[in-house]
Amino acid sequence: MLDLRDVSFAYEGSQAVGRITVSFDATQLIALTGPNGSGKSTLLKLIARVLTPHAGEIAFDGKRLRDWPAKEYAKQVAYLPQDPDPAFSMRAIDVVVSGRAPFLGRFAWERDSDYAEAEHALDLCDASHLGDRYLDEMSGGERKRIFLARVLAARPRLILLDEPLASLDISHVQQFSALLGDIVDRTGVTVLYATHDLNWAAAYSDRMLVMQRGVLARDAAPAEVMQPEVVRELFGFDAEAVSMNGRSWLVPRVGVSKA
Amino acid sequence: MSAATRQKRLIGGVALLALLLAIALLLASSAGATNVSWRAAMSGDVTARAILIGIRLPRALLAALVGATLAVAGVTFQTLLRNPLADPFILGVSGGAACGASIATAAGLARLPGVVPAIAFAGACGATGAVFLLARRREYTDPTRLLLSGLVLNAFFSAVILISFGISRQSDLTAALRWMMGTLFGATWSDVVLLTILLVIATATLASIGNDLRMLSFGEDDAKSRGVNVERVKLIGFITASIVTGAAVSVSGIIGFVGLLVPHLIRMMWRRDFRFLLPLCALGGGILVVLADLLSRIVVTSSELPIGAFTAVLGVPFFLSLLRRNR
Repeated sequence: MLDLRDVSFAYEGSQAVGRITVSFDATQLIALTGPNGSGKSTLLKLIARVLTPHAGEIAFDGKRLRDWPAKEYAKQVAYLPQDPDPAFSMRAIDVVVSGRAPFLGRFAWERDSDYAEAEHALDLCDASHLGDRYLDEMSGGERKRIFLARVLAARPRLILLDEPLASLDISHVQQFSALLGDIVDRTGVTVLYATHDLNWAAAYSDRMLVMQRGVLARDAAPAEVMQPEVVRELFGFDAEAVSMNGRSWLVPRVGVSKA
Repeated sequence: MSAATRQKRLIGGVALLALLLAIALLLASSAGATNVSWRAAMSGDVTARAILIGIRLPRALLAALVGATLAVAGVTFQTLLRNPLADPFILGVSGGAACGASIATAAGLARLPGVVPAIAFAGACGATGAVFLLARRREYTDPTRLLLSGLVLNAFFSAVILISFGISRQSDLTAALRWMMGTLFGATWSDVVLLTILLVIATATLASIGNDLRMLSFGEDDAKSRGVNVERVKLIGFITASIVTGAAVSVSGIIGFVGLLVPHLIRMMWRRDFRFLLPLCALGGGILVVLADLLSRIVVTSSELPIGAFTAVLGVPFFLSLLRRNR
């Protein structure tokens, strides 16, 4: 589906991501992890066509991104920035239906079928009851689900989420992670989401990408990443592995002096 | 609610406001210092005809056009800058226009017909161009830099205006001050025709990027990922809104509050989708300025009061009552 080959990008001379080569197939929940500033957001923006690579090539279905008409690509790949914030508070249903924009002609208005898609997307996100509420009357977790419904409304094949779990409390992190897995299973979409929470990423994703200083340091199954020596090297995280329910969990090593 | 219901609501809103605008226009053209009626004008009374068709009707229509223009420009700036405090004058348009007008006054050109509006329009265009050049770098127009450049240029223009007034002749100053406070005195049919054409072109242009502008309200990165050519939309939106604002200011002087207030009023009464806002704001802005101009003419008979004062007098109580109702 999506192939990146030697993709690099720099902000005003400072390299943000360098020579990334990776491929994504259908129906996967992929966690993009890495320390702050490791290039996760930049990588998502490059795939979303918010930024253009300075070197290398990105291809979707074998066709280079620059050869895709912008709106056609937007029907295939949907991106959710970290803190989406409409300047004026809107009703949830209007937010979600705006996800259908790539399908609208210049002067066209949404049709009933677009609203049906929006309501279907709200339903997928367990948010049907929120349709008529205003965004600024909602909790952070509710807003997250509305914006997830918005990216789903276009029925894309690849969804890119930038830090969707940030600023959620722990029960909402769990609900939202489970929701992502559920949506992948039910719709066959591939979700690539940035997060820096390793345990949650490992518990719910099928595959983990680890960025380190702009390069792709690991691309592996969660079990391979969740090793104390691996996370020490990649994240500088001093951890112990605890095995529970057949999974490896990383807990901080405490009581050890930094010496 | 189905798509058809939503569209009916828009059509209903447009019909309601159009009706109110028609009533306001009728009121404004009927009332004034001289007591003349449309019936007399229609039955061949030459004086009544001259007053109603030659003076009051073009003035009322121009008020509607200026109000519509300012409200359309205001909602465009608020959407583009993602800022509820934006108004049509925020990018230095009013400052540039006033600066041009006051320099023309200081140079003694204020008595020649058409000179002040022409120079004011040139000033508005010059200011917009300058603000854009200042805010643009590496093919990216930064909204914050736009706001800052507009603010700073407006401050500079104020200084130039004060200096110009200082060296203007006393007799020229009254007209210049009246212009600065907004006046539709001396409106002509050619003003009406010119502004109608500009407003139609501008509204059509903005409607053609309406879907994209709505997406911009979710942020630039988000809009880009949806296939919106963000830089192009910003450029078209800002230039279009600035040019029509410049044209409106050049015929009416500076009428404050309409461009800021009307979009908020419409948002509170209807929806917050740019495509809804555009036609409803045009009508709402028209109504407000027609009524404000009417009041400015009839509250005292000895002279005319500034229209800008009455847009606030009429608009603020209405705005505050809506604000209270909407939590």
